[in-house]
Amino acid sequence: MTQFMANWKNELFKLRKRKKYFVFLILGCAICVASALRLVIANLITGGAMSPETMLGGLTTANLPFLLLLFLPLMAIMAACDLFVTEQADHTIRFSLMRPVGKGKLFFSKATAVFTLCAIDLAVLYLVTALTQVILGGGTRGLGSGLLACLLDLIPLAVLILFFCLVNQLIKSAGLTVLLCVVLYVGFLALGTYLPAFGGLLFTGYLRWHNLWIGVTLPFLSMLSRIGLLAGYGLVFACGGYLLFDRKEA
Amino acid sequence: MDIVLNLDHVSKVYGNGRGARNITFSVERGQVVGLLGPNGSGKTTIMKSITGLCQPTEGTITVFGANAVDHRETALARVGTLIEQPALYENLTALDHLRMAARYYPGVGQARMEQVLEIVGLSQYKKERCGKFSLGMKQRMGLALALLSEPELMILDEPTNGLDIEATVEIREIIIRLAKEKGVTFLVASHLASEIEKMCTHVLVLHEGEMLSFVTKEEALRLNPSLEDYFLAKVRDKKGSVVL
Repeated sequence: MTQFMANWKNELFKLRKRKKYFVFLILGCAICVASALRLVIANLITGGAMSPETMLGGLTTANLPFLLLLFLPLMAIMAACDLFVTEQADHTIRFSLMRPVGKGKLFFSKATAVFTLCAIDLAVLYLVTALTQVILGGGTRGLGSGLLACLLDLIPLAVLILFFCLVNQLIKSAGLTVLLCVVLYVGFLALGTYLPAFGGLLFTGYLRWHNLWIGVTLPFLSMLSRIGLLAGYGLVFACGGYLLFDRKEA
Repeated sequence: MDIVLNLDHVSKVYGNGRGARNITFSVERGQVVGLLGPNGSGKTTIMKSITGLCQPTEGTITVFGANAVDHRETALARVGTLIEQPALYENLTALDHLRMAARYYPGVGQARMEQVLEIVGLSQYKKERCGKFSLGMKQRMGLALALLSEPELMILDEPTNGLDIEATVEIREIIIRLAKEKGVTFLVASHLASEIEKMCTHVLVLHEGEMLSFVTKEEALRLNPSLEDYFLAKVRDKKGSVVL
């Protein structure tokens, strides 16, 4: 565990030292604030027909589709590519490979670092959105359920990150890997949207995992099959990614 | 004697047919073994196989009694490595690299980091990004990273590559001093026979992926005026035996 933690800290340190993630986070915060301001301005233009509580209540949950379907997947793709394929391409992966750490620990600590980065970003964006809601007079309505939704949505996000880590083992070019990740991700999303029959079978169909738990909940057995499906995807991506990573030579 | 490293019929052949074949040798504590061979003779392949950067297609590698493939962590715990060009992140400073490496070795603190920077002569550049380093400075940094954990076995591939004359002599002296005073074992690869001759106790000659000999330096120099002549004699022997 010591070596896993050591490598996890190193991977996070490397991500922290890349300014683009900070810039990307600021951009995300700006979009969250802008979405609240947009509602306020629209309300002012229409003569203030709605109260701020009605208008802004539940803003944290309302922003989740943007965060879960666009912002965090893009962040995860960039981070996964930086830690896997880019390091393989410029041979900096040897820095970790030449240390006394198993390849399994190396693979999973990298994946955990990507997940940690996304979780931290989600937490920051939640806080910014919540603060914006309170400051603009929206009160505290929906903050609790918003927080619960964020926590629940970390589960499919972990599966998505494992998928990106697996894709990172397939080709050697960093640029092509980013493109492949984006194309596959958008492809799966589109497939689930336009062919609803597939939507329930694809892991991308569960990115808004909180919808299954908050509000109208499905029967337990129906939920169980979905949990199993997501867990199965996670297991396949984790094992496949690790196997390919273990066979790679630096 | 205490066997530090053992290779038993190790082969690693790449898709293009190059690599190393049927390599067998043992290194004892305190020995400085020089891998001597031209470019493409399999020196780096052997070193990469030992450190797990590539997996041997055949044979067993044991480092401090632990299988290097199955028990990487145990095998590499007391090993310092510098293979090909040092793996450095361009946006991180020298100190950042040492801090990251130190996390893998319990007991390595700030004092040791300062010490290795002093040894390789990079103290004044510790807060500079490695992307701005010259080739020689990068090589020194790679050596600092290899030395950081006070390893008992050091695997160095062309350690003086890119260094000026003074730095080359310094590195050579560090190797000789660590072997004599602290009993550190070295496996040093070079295509320069003169460099191997100046610092090694044993020499392993490689040619086209084959191991031609593994002898003490004295034995190699008994009938030859220099290691260069010994190497050429061994290559001639091999070619002669092929003709026969």
